[in-house]
Amino acid sequence: MMFWEKSKPYIWAIGISFLAIGVLVWILGYSPLEAFKTLLFKPFSSKFQLTATTLKFIPLLLSTYAFSIPFILKNFNIGASGQMLVGGTVVAIVGLSFESHPISPWILVPLLLLVAAVSGGLFALIAGYLKVKFGVDVVISTIMLNFVGFYLASFVATTPPWKAPLTGHPMTKELPKWALLPTMGDLHIGIFIVIGIAVLVHYVMTKTVFGYEVEAIGHNPRASEIHGIHIDRIVLMTLFIGGAMAGLAGGIEVMGVHKRLLEGFNITSGADFGTFGSLTALMVEGNTIAIPIVAYLVAALLNGADSMQRTMMLPVELVFLIQAAMVLLIVSFRGKFKE
Amino acid sequence: MKAVELRGISKRFGDVVALDNVDFSVEVGEVHGLLGENGAGKTTLMNILYGLYKPDSGKIFIMGEEVKISSPLDSIKLGIGMIHQISTLVPEFTVIENIVLGDKSLGTFKFDVKLARKKVKELADSIGFELPFDKKVKELPPGVKQKTEIVRALYREAKILILDEPTAYLVGDEFDQLLKAINILKEKGVTIIFITHKIREVFQACDRVTVLKGGRVQGSLDVRKASEDELVSLMFEGQKIEVTDSALPKMVLEDVEKTKSPILKMINVSTNVPNLKNLKNVNLEVYGGEILGIAGISGHGQKLLTEVVVNPNLLHSGDILINGESTKEKSTVDILKSGVFFTPEDRVLEGSLPTASIYKNIFLGHHREERFLKGKSVVVWRKVRSVSRELIKLFKVKTPNEVIEIRKLSGGNMQKVIFARAFLNPIDLLVTHNPTAGLDMASVKFVFEKLLEMRKSRKAVLYINEDLDELMAVSDRIAVIRNGQIVKVFQREEFNKREIGKYMAGVVE
Repeated sequence: MMFWEKSKPYIWAIGISFLAIGVLVWILGYSPLEAFKTLLFKPFSSKFQLTATTLKFIPLLLSTYAFSIPFILKNFNIGASGQMLVGGTVVAIVGLSFESHPISPWILVPLLLLVAAVSGGLFALIAGYLKVKFGVDVVISTIMLNFVGFYLASFVATTPPWKAPLTGHPMTKELPKWALLPTMGDLHIGIFIVIGIAVLVHYVMTKTVFGYEVEAIGHNPRASEIHGIHIDRIVLMTLFIGGAMAGLAGGIEVMGVHKRLLEGFNITSGADFGTFGSLTALMVEGNTIAIPIVAYLVAALLNGADSMQRTMMLPVELVFLIQAAMVLLIVSFRGKFKE
Repeated sequence: MKAVELRGISKRFGDVVALDNVDFSVEVGEVHGLLGENGAGKTTLMNILYGLYKPDSGKIFIMGEEVKISSPLDSIKLGIGMIHQISTLVPEFTVIENIVLGDKSLGTFKFDVKLARKKVKELADSIGFELPFDKKVKELPPGVKQKTEIVRALYREAKILILDEPTAYLVGDEFDQLLKAINILKEKGVTIIFITHKIREVFQACDRVTVLKGGRVQGSLDVRKASEDELVSLMFEGQKIEVTDSALPKMVLEDVEKTKSPILKMINVSTNVPNLKNLKNVNLEVYGGEILGIAGISGHGQKLLTEVVVNPNLLHSGDILINGESTKEKSTVDILKSGVFFTPEDRVLEGSLPTASIYKNIFLGHHREERFLKGKSVVVWRKVRSVSRELIKLFKVKTPNEVIEIRKLSGGNMQKVIFARAFLNPIDLLVTHNPTAGLDMASVKFVFEKLLEMRKSRKAVLYINEDLDELMAVSDRIAVIRNGQIVKVFQREEFNKREIGKYMAGVVE
């Protein structure tokens, strides 16, 4: 009963947005049935497709946390993209510095992951500091910091000693083997890392005093403050954690997927992970069990969109339409079904 | 003619029956009291009339005609105005802007300020209200906000005015001003519905009264022919409560030997917080076994007086000793752990996490106590919930369980949860600001008993309240605060409403 009541807005939103897209596809002269089949079933149809979906899921889930954790305090971290770029860039620099010093990956890989998380976290902390010290809205500072992250990555990708020789697209040299994430077939071990993180996030947010303090401020900052919760400290901590998640996503992409820093590695299916992450976070409203599940479904949708483009020549942008329509409808229905 | 007639109104919220087949009618030009204890359904019934809730069944007639009201826009068009307990004004707008908000006749793009001021001033003068037209609403005390809301309703040509617990936040002579205005409005033919849980106010303000209990009508009476006992028995059905002249539960202060040294000692306490009335060289001592009342007009430093005890960061100079120990180096959490607790003035804005469950609300401020934690940082929610269930039972909070959001409780029950939170642990010192705001008589009595229990077990209570009657009912001493300073301390033998009032108002320095 409770579950049904809660799912109502989602079911409506998904139904209506798919219906609308179906009509659009039909008007464009394609078969809606075929399109939906590709979109919904293709991502799960083979091992290859499942791997492709999972590879999108890993950075997407981390980007979702990057938005959703600071968002509990009504801070909009839309800087996941920049934080991801910084994490990836720092990992590339540190990783390349070991180019001629072979070292056990058992030491280097965890170190690089830590470096990625910390650098992303510290980068987001700039926005946190501006917020706490001068009251600068996190939206503004993180948008601006996205440019910083982007140009920092570009700079490293086009400047010796990091730049790859003889290439048109800005990218660095390949990282040494001992700096890469171990793989199983086409999939790297990042999946285990994010599963671990998903469990950890759920535990911390629902079972610890820190999680309670974050939640309390989200409900009422003034009451929390006068009952002894330090708001500034928690603002900084949540932004650090959010930035660390995005930074880690950057590190994982660089170490696991591209094996180098590559301009635009933060982009997938036509938009950046930060955007998809914030959309996903807005759909689930901070429920720590729903976040990984929904993130996986969104990853599948993105993968399905890629397939749809390949096999039917339908533009991937259709999926953005679906996702955007869904978010809008979910948010509006949530309000409507509440009373 | 009947201004309002409600027939067979029922309303459920989930499993809770809020109103059960209620019939209610008000004649044109009368002041009609709607009396009942907390959670009786008074506000719900009026929210239905105002279009905030849809009834599950029942019909609404205005001036004899059946109407459909599906939002406040409809009810405003029908000439209904409602003044809620919590201000619905725009805080960033001035008084005048709030009043004329939405009036297109003052100009489409730019409104005619002079004309607006003239119209509003006439209106306010006609009911004897003086308003600071150009002040922003957020700077005003609750009483002035309420006057602004009344004028706004009249500006929108309300013929039926609903006042929801209008006296809950009034201080000094504001109640008399309200009574005067009500009488003028009545002469003008405005119908008034006066929601209250205070029997005294029914006799002061109303012509007729309808008593609600548990969502049902207990009866409608002519106030002139009704007796206090009759109303009490309708409201409480048999529960016997003795009341004083000021319609407060009668309390007896037993002789208690005070502790030798004070539990709370404030030495030359001054604060320096922007945008609040600051404390200036406050010296106070509260001994175990006594209740020290703090009287004063709202906004004279009470808020910081409450807060500074638990938050030494607010101290600008001076020192606060609790059981002889300075709190300067301590954090709020440390102080709350050391046998001190407080209840802040505003139950919604400061006291609660409105959208969180009851048990998470009770946990607030206790969230660093070892007994609820495993290790240093893991919460054992099972324990928090079982303690919450006990408190709910002990403090008679009306709720199906401890999991529901606190904002879904009625105002009085919400207040009880916040008050209960302070008694989760045995405490030496309670600092409590307006703990009885919006409580019915049975609950007020309960709060008083709790304060007296603390007194009896030789603990200290710092009791801050704007209602002098309530302070006088249980305090051993009353200190008057004005402009952030303690201007006078009265012993219980010297209590005299008029005298204390003079110091509150600053007539005597």
